Amino acid sequence: MTFSVRQVPCRLRLGLLALAPILLLSTLFAFLPPDGLERAAWAQFIGRFHLLTVHFPIALILIAPVLEWAGRNPRFPYLRSSVDFLLALAMLSSLVAATLGWCLARSGGYSGRLVTQHMWGGVSVAAACWLCWLLRRYFRGPRLDFIYILALLAAVGLVSWTGYRGGQLSQGENHLTEQMPATLRKLIGFSVRSQILPRSNPAYFYGAYVEPIFVGHHCYSCHGPEKQKGRLRLDSYEALMHGGKDGPVVKAGNVKGSELFHRVTLSPSDDDAMPPQGKRPLASNEIKLLELWIAAGASSTLPANAIKDAPTTPEPVVAEVTFEEIDPAAVAQLRAPLAREVAQLKQRFPDLLDYESRGSANLVIDASALGARFGDDDFAAVKPLSEQIVIADLSGTAITDRSALLLAAMKRTRVLRLTNTKITDATVLALGGLDRLESLDLYGTSVTPACFKVVERLPKLRHLYAGATKIPADVPVSEDMKGKLLF
Amino acid sequence: MSDSEIRAKNGPPQTELTGEIPLQVRFASLQAQTRRHFLRSFTAGVGSMFLGTLASQFAPPVKAAERGIDGTPRLDFTRDPSRPLSILPPQFTPRAKRIIYLHMAGAPSQLELFDHKPDLNKLDGQECPASFLVGKRFAFISGVPKLLGAQYPFHQAGKNGQWMSDRLPHLEKHIDDLCLIKSMRTDQFNHAPAQLLVQTGNARLGYPSMGSWVIYGLGTENQNLPGFIVLVSGGNQPDGGKQLWGSGFLPSVYQGVQCRSHGEPVLYLENPPDVSRPLRRRMLDAVDEINQQTYAEFGNPETITRIAQYEMAFRMQMDATDAMDIHKEPAAVLAAYGANPAGSSFANNCVVARRLAERGVRFIQLYHWGWDDHGTSAKDSLNIGFADRCRETDQPIAALLTDLKQRGMLEDTLVVWGGEFGRTSMRENRNGQVMQFIGRDHNPGAFTIWMAGGGIKPGMSYGETDAMGYEIVKDPVEIRDLHATMLYAMGFDHRKLTYSFQGLEQKLTSVKPARVVAEVLA
Repeated sequence: MTFSVRQVPCRLRLGLLALAPILLLSTLFAFLPPDGLERAAWAQFIGRFHLLTVHFPIALILIAPVLEWAGRNPRFPYLRSSVDFLLALAMLSSLVAATLGWCLARSGGYSGRLVTQHMWGGVSVAAACWLCWLLRRYFRGPRLDFIYILALLAAVGLVSWTGYRGGQLSQGENHLTEQMPATLRKLIGFSVRSQILPRSNPAYFYGAYVEPIFVGHHCYSCHGPEKQKGRLRLDSYEALMHGGKDGPVVKAGNVKGSELFHRVTLSPSDDDAMPPQGKRPLASNEIKLLELWIAAGASSTLPANAIKDAPTTPEPVVAEVTFEEIDPAAVAQLRAPLAREVAQLKQRFPDLLDYESRGSANLVIDASALGARFGDDDFAAVKPLSEQIVIADLSGTAITDRSALLLAAMKRTRVLRLTNTKITDATVLALGGLDRLESLDLYGTSVTPACFKVVERLPKLRHLYAGATKIPADVPVSEDMKGKLLF
Repeated sequence: MSDSEIRAKNGPPQTELTGEIPLQVRFASLQAQTRRHFLRSFTAGVGSMFLGTLASQFAPPVKAAERGIDGTPRLDFTRDPSRPLSILPPQFTPRAKRIIYLHMAGAPSQLELFDHKPDLNKLDGQECPASFLVGKRFAFISGVPKLLGAQYPFHQAGKNGQWMSDRLPHLEKHIDDLCLIKSMRTDQFNHAPAQLLVQTGNARLGYPSMGSWVIYGLGTENQNLPGFIVLVSGGNQPDGGKQLWGSGFLPSVYQGVQCRSHGEPVLYLENPPDVSRPLRRRMLDAVDEINQQTYAEFGNPETITRIAQYEMAFRMQMDATDAMDIHKEPAAVLAAYGANPAGSSFANNCVVARRLAERGVRFIQLYHWGWDDHGTSAKDSLNIGFADRCRETDQPIAALLTDLKQRGMLEDTLVVWGGEFGRTSMRENRNGQVMQFIGRDHNPGAFTIWMAGGGIKPGMSYGETDAMGYEIVKDPVEIRDLHATMLYAMGFDHRKLTYSFQGLEQKLTSVKPARVVAEVLA
């Protein structure tokens, strides 16, 4: 069977002609791919509009099947009549978006698998639109309709995948799953954050000390399999030694001449510093390891123990304290059950008690400032709150053994101070249930070694202050108690 | 209905609803006005003045923003104006509830106490390298000074083998309780501004001291004593003057109260002869009434502060006298401190510090003057005066630590010891001359402080200076970092303990980013 262009209807020829820009763009992609070099700023400027225009074809392609489906309902048949136009528009706009995307990738220093896939995905989306449009417009019929539906679904799938890759390109590899709740993760069996682990043999210096630096500082996210900023990859020894767009970054034996070493030792605020501004710079021992390794010849087979005095024990990462964020609503809810009692007690004894912190419902009671004015009967007022108290300082108050029951009911107490009070062993013997008690201060009371019977069994106890009591400093105690007993 | 019938039905006329702006709001609005507001509202010509007036008419009253600059909710420090020192919970679970700060005014030499530099000893008497002098400003050194080795022998002490000199034999017993920070740094090289920087976070006058910030943030448990008490010894006030415990722009109720360990604790606290306590009470009631009227008229919280101060002074007549009276301590305790109730001394102040800590005073500040050993005279020299200062402070500080530890109070008391800067590795040569006595000049580039107790890792040393002890080579700690760390121990993010003043959310650590030195936290 022979086939000639003349056999094709005139209007279909126009349709086929529309393939030409797609092919042209593909040629461009094939011969001038993004190669990790930065080019003219104006091209980058235009390229940035890719991020704006790209959403237009996405919406058009997604709306086409919706119109087709909804148009099957006899009430709105007119919906289907615009699908042709939409598909043509989707093809054109995806061509524009893909062209802009190429501008961005080619001039913005992109390279790697991710950008390549995204780029070819984009041009495939344009091609798929073209196919759908052609099929719908010129090839109708029961069997061809089926092919059309398949093509449309393929276009939707393709645009979703390309969009996802694009998202990874701009927002990071795991931009969709990053914030997924742990319960959902578990439910769908999604692995907890994958991590690239060092793969080289740790028997060699490179595998043991050099590669872990790159891994630890997430160098691969820009210089790895997915992205290669400056055409540099660090994810293998060969790639590292091959270097980037300006040649090798490691010159064996030449520390000063090695670009890699130069970049990591720049001041963190320098534009050329690596890791880039805002990322954790290399620790001094990591820099030293790189220096020693390069100076020793930067070999991949240098034994791990070849360099004497290498600072191989990692420095502790600079410790940072974190501050919890306080949610006032949650705190109010936490405090609600006993809020009235707390308010009443505050009314009666201002400055006697307060919450442990602004984010907590735990109570701290300190009666030491009231001194002898505060006795058993006053202390009894605390009773409804006893379970909430975590720190209690009753030093110098007039409380006696009569308060023992109340003290014993303060089950969550971590710190209990009873210095210079009239309490005796009887009170201490009642405290056996305080299994969270960490510090018991009995200084200046008349307790005797008899109280050890209970104290020894307090599981969390770290300090027992027994100065100025009837407990002699040379009292025989168990080995366990010896470290806790303080005079 | 007649007028009286209407009144009977509706109650008394409601004056609060006639559009009067509440006093507090009006005051807050006035306080939020800055010079920029003024210039913006009332510059360039009648037109803008007209518009400015219009704008200010329709603008809502300025209300303290509920969110800070970083968008997170601000902590609320408002209290009942009549109880400005009432306790407030800290931001998060604290490690310490009170601070005892031992400020060695004049700046003790780290090279004679904690910073052991054997290489410097070897180079003693040699001319100092030119690199030490480039771009540096000194208070007195001129020309090319000579390096000066440590004047006292060093040895290792404690379980962790910390180096220290032989000048502190008593403190040595507590070396495993201390956390030495050998890499402190300041940017002030004269006493007064450097002391201000240490105490207020700012080298200029007019900022609240850390004690003021702490009691502003937490209040104090004992309303019969000031929450922030200052005791001075050594024969002189520190160079920074009373601003060192001033409250700056915070309400003045938060300023430190200077007390004495000898005689009347606060001057003129006692009633004069023939004035009885009930008579004093009646006088105060009358004064309070007048002050209340003044407050109703002007709305300035300083008036309330004044009332609260009078009331506190009245209560202090009983409690302060008792707290400061070290006669009540057993002789054995006084002997342990080396205190003598007949005079005044740093040792006496240390006894008082412990008594105040026991009574719930939040911030206890001790100054001991006389550490400025330039070598100009015997008492200002490393070989004589310095040894005396060590003797005066060593035993009392050790006894204070012992007492706190024994009473279980070191768990939640943060003790800080330090000067306002360090001293040079070079011998001072005032006017280029060799001086009769041995001394060192001021070195803001490196000095040593120590912390102990509440929330601090004991028995460690943090930071390093170079082989000459001149500059920091590892883990520098700025004054603001120290402040951030202290506030952290007290349960605050230093960025959250703020007070709005002059268009800024003012804070102790000022505007440069500060770091909590997490490595020294237990």
